[in-house]
Amino acid sequence: MDVGRRISVIFSFVVIVILLTGSSYAIPAFSRQYGTSCTTCHIDFPKLNDFGKAFKDAGFKFPKGDEDFIKVPPIMLGAPAQKDMWPHVIYPGTIPGLPQIGLRYNQFFQYTSGNANNYYGSQVLPGSTPGSALPPTIPRTDFQAGYFSIFMAGNFGSDIAFWVDDDLSVSGANANGALGDGYLRFVNIGRFLKLPTDAFTVKVGQFELDLPFTQARSINISPYDIYTQANIGAANPANGLPSVNNQFSMQDGAQGIEFSGGHQYGGYHYSLAVVNQNTSGGAAAAPPNVDTPSAFFSDSNYKDVYGRFSYRFNLEKDPASRHDVQAAGATGPRDHTYLSLGTFFFKGRSVQRFSGLTGGGAAEVLTAREPFYRVGGDFSFNYRTFNLFGLYMYAHDQNVLLNSGFTGFGNGDPVKFNGGFLEADYLALPWVMAIMRYDHVQSTSDFLNGASSGNYYSPVGSSRDRVTPGVQFLIHANIKTSFEYQFRPRQALAYDQNGKPLNSFRTNTATGALEFVY
Amino acid sequence: MKRTLISMMMVGTVVMMLSLAASAGTISGKVSGVSGESVVYVEAVAGKTFPAPTAKPVIDQKGLMFQPHIVVVEQGTTVEFLNSDKVAHNVFWPSVGGNKKLTHNLGTWPQGEKRPFKFDNAGAVPLLCNVHPEMAGYIVVSPTPYFALTDKSGEYKIENVPDGSYTVVAWHEGAKNQSKPVSVAGDSKADFTLSK
Repeated sequence: MDVGRRISVIFSFVVIVILLTGSSYAIPAFSRQYGTSCTTCHIDFPKLNDFGKAFKDAGFKFPKGDEDFIKVPPIMLGAPAQKDMWPHVIYPGTIPGLPQIGLRYNQFFQYTSGNANNYYGSQVLPGSTPGSALPPTIPRTDFQAGYFSIFMAGNFGSDIAFWVDDDLSVSGANANGALGDGYLRFVNIGRFLKLPTDAFTVKVGQFELDLPFTQARSINISPYDIYTQANIGAANPANGLPSVNNQFSMQDGAQGIEFSGGHQYGGYHYSLAVVNQNTSGGAAAAPPNVDTPSAFFSDSNYKDVYGRFSYRFNLEKDPASRHDVQAAGATGPRDHTYLSLGTFFFKGRSVQRFSGLTGGGAAEVLTAREPFYRVGGDFSFNYRTFNLFGLYMYAHDQNVLLNSGFTGFGNGDPVKFNGGFLEADYLALPWVMAIMRYDHVQSTSDFLNGASSGNYYSPVGSSRDRVTPGVQFLIHANIKTSFEYQFRPRQALAYDQNGKPLNSFRTNTATGALEFVY
Repeated sequence: MKRTLISMMMVGTVVMMLSLAASAGTISGKVSGVSGESVVYVEAVAGKTFPAPTAKPVIDQKGLMFQPHIVVVEQGTTVEFLNSDKVAHNVFWPSVGGNKKLTHNLGTWPQGEKRPFKFDNAGAVPLLCNVHPEMAGYIVVSPTPYFALTDKSGEYKIENVPDGSYTVVAWHEGAKNQSKPVSVAGDSKADFTLSK
C-alpha cells in the first residue's frame, strides 16, 4: 500500500473512531410532549432505564394510559368515530400536536499518547523500503466538531410508531452526514391475530439490528470493537487479491423488515430481521448490482437474516413488583434487579467481483459469493445502579479463492474472528456515571494484514485488546460531558528479521466529549 | 320565674356570641412581586396551642403532576398522598421549613392507593418524586389555624382571627418569606411584596 493511501486510510480510521462513534440520541421531543424530564426514560442519556425500555417497546408511548400524560394533544387526522365507517373512509390516525423534533450537537477533544510518534519518522515498515519516512498523520491533540443531528420520533396513533434521525453535518462540514435509522414500527399487530399482547410487532425501514447492547445509542464515546470488526482476509498468495473482503460489521445500519415481540424490561424478547445484503459497510447502494469489476459492492438481491432471542429474569421477590415496568423500592420506583441472557445469529453472504477469464480466454467478470455468519451470546446483570454486561461473538466467513488461471474459484480455509466486550456501568450519583470496559478481538487476519492493511491499530499478535475506563457527568439532564481513556497493548510497525517487533509502542488515547440535546 | 330565667340565659348567650364575634377579625391583603398563588399564615402564638384537625386533605399525583400544586394545612394535619397515575411515583421531601433533618421518603405505592403522613412540624414542605424530577408540589404547614391561600392575583383573606397582635408570614415558592406584625381588631390589612 502506498503512503498516500495509507494516510487516507489512517485519517478515515481516526475520523471514524472519533466521530462516528456513540451516535447516540435522547429524545427531547418527548420531554416537550409529556412535560417530563429526560430522566423519566434515561439513565445518563441515551442509556434507557426500565421505563424508557417500556416506552420504546410500546411504540414511543407510555405503556399504560398514554393519553393521561400528553400535555400537547395530538392532531386528529380523522374523527375516532370514522373507524366504524372503515373501509369506506381512511382509517383515522393522529400526528403529534407539536413537531416531534430533537436536535443534538457534540464536540470532541482527543489526546493521543506521545509515544505514538514512533509511528512517524523513520520506522521501517514491513514490506516498505528501509529508511522510508511517514509524515505525521495523527495529531497528538485535536479539537474536533462532531455531529449536528436531527431526530424525530413519535406515534401516529393505532400503535404505529416512527423514527427518523439524520446527521445534518459531521465534523463541522455541511450535509455530509447520513440517515441513521428511519422506520415505521407497527406495534402489537399480533392483536389482529389474537396473539398475546406485544407478541408480534413489525418494523420496516432502515434500522440498527436488534443488537444485545446498542451501538447507535450507546453512552460510550468509542464503539465496541467487536461491533466494528469487518472480516478482511489476508491476500490470496496466488494472485494478491483479498481472499475474503467482507466489510459487514454488526453496527451497520440495515434495510429491511424486522419482526419482534416481548419486552426489554422483563420476560422474553425476540426479533427476526430480513435485511438487504450489506457488504459495503454502509447502506446498500443503488443500483444493487454494479458491473464494475475488481470492486466490491452490495448485492442486494440476496437477503441476510438476523435473529435474536433473550430472556430477562427480574429478581424481585414480590410478584407485583417483579412484573411491573419498574420495581417498587423502599424509597421509590427504580430499575429492576435482573439477569438477562440472550443469543443472536446473523447469516449473510458477501460478494466479490474479479476480472477473470472464460475457459476460452475471453475477459469475464467473475463473482465470488461467500456465505458468512456471526453468532454470539450475551448477558446483563443489574443491581440498583450497577450494571454489568458483556457479549461474545464468533464470526465465520466461507473463503472462495480465485484460481491461478483466473477462470473460476476454489474453496480456501474459512476466515474467522471472535471477541466481545465486558462493561460495568455504575451510576455513582444520578449525574455521575463511572464506566469500565474491556474489548477484545481475536483475528488472525488482522495480524496477517498488519500494517499493510493501513490499520493503525493493528495488533502485534492476533489479539486486539483495549481497556477503557471512563466517566460521564450530566451537567443538566440534557447536557453531558464524557471522558474515556483507551489503554491498548503494545504494537509495532518495525520488525527484525526474525519477526520480532522493534520499538513497540502504545497508542493510548484520551478522548473527551461535550454534547447537548434539545 | 322559670320563663324569666330562660329569657335571661338566651339574652346572655346572644350577648356573649356578639361579643365573641366582635373580638374575631380578619386579615386581608395582597401578595405582590410574584406571580401565581402564595400562602399567608399567622405565626405561632406564644403560649397557645391548637387542636389538630381531623380532616385529611389529599394530594394527588396525576398526569405527572402534584395536584393541587400547593396545599396549606394546620400543624398536626395528616395529609394523604394518592397516586392516580398509571406509572410508578413516589413522594419525598428534602426538608421541612428548611430543616434538612426532617427529610422523608414515603416510598412507592400503586395506582389508586393512598399513603398518609402527619405533619407535626411547621414550615414549607417541597414535595418531589424521585423518578420524575420535574414534578413539584408544596405543603405549607401553618403553626396556627389562621391561614389562607391567595388567588392567582395575590389577594387573600384570613377569617376568624381573634383580636390581638400577631406576626403574619407570606410564602411563595421561589421567593423569600416575608413577615410583618399585624394588629387584628376587626378587619385588618396586610400587604406583602415578595422578591426572589
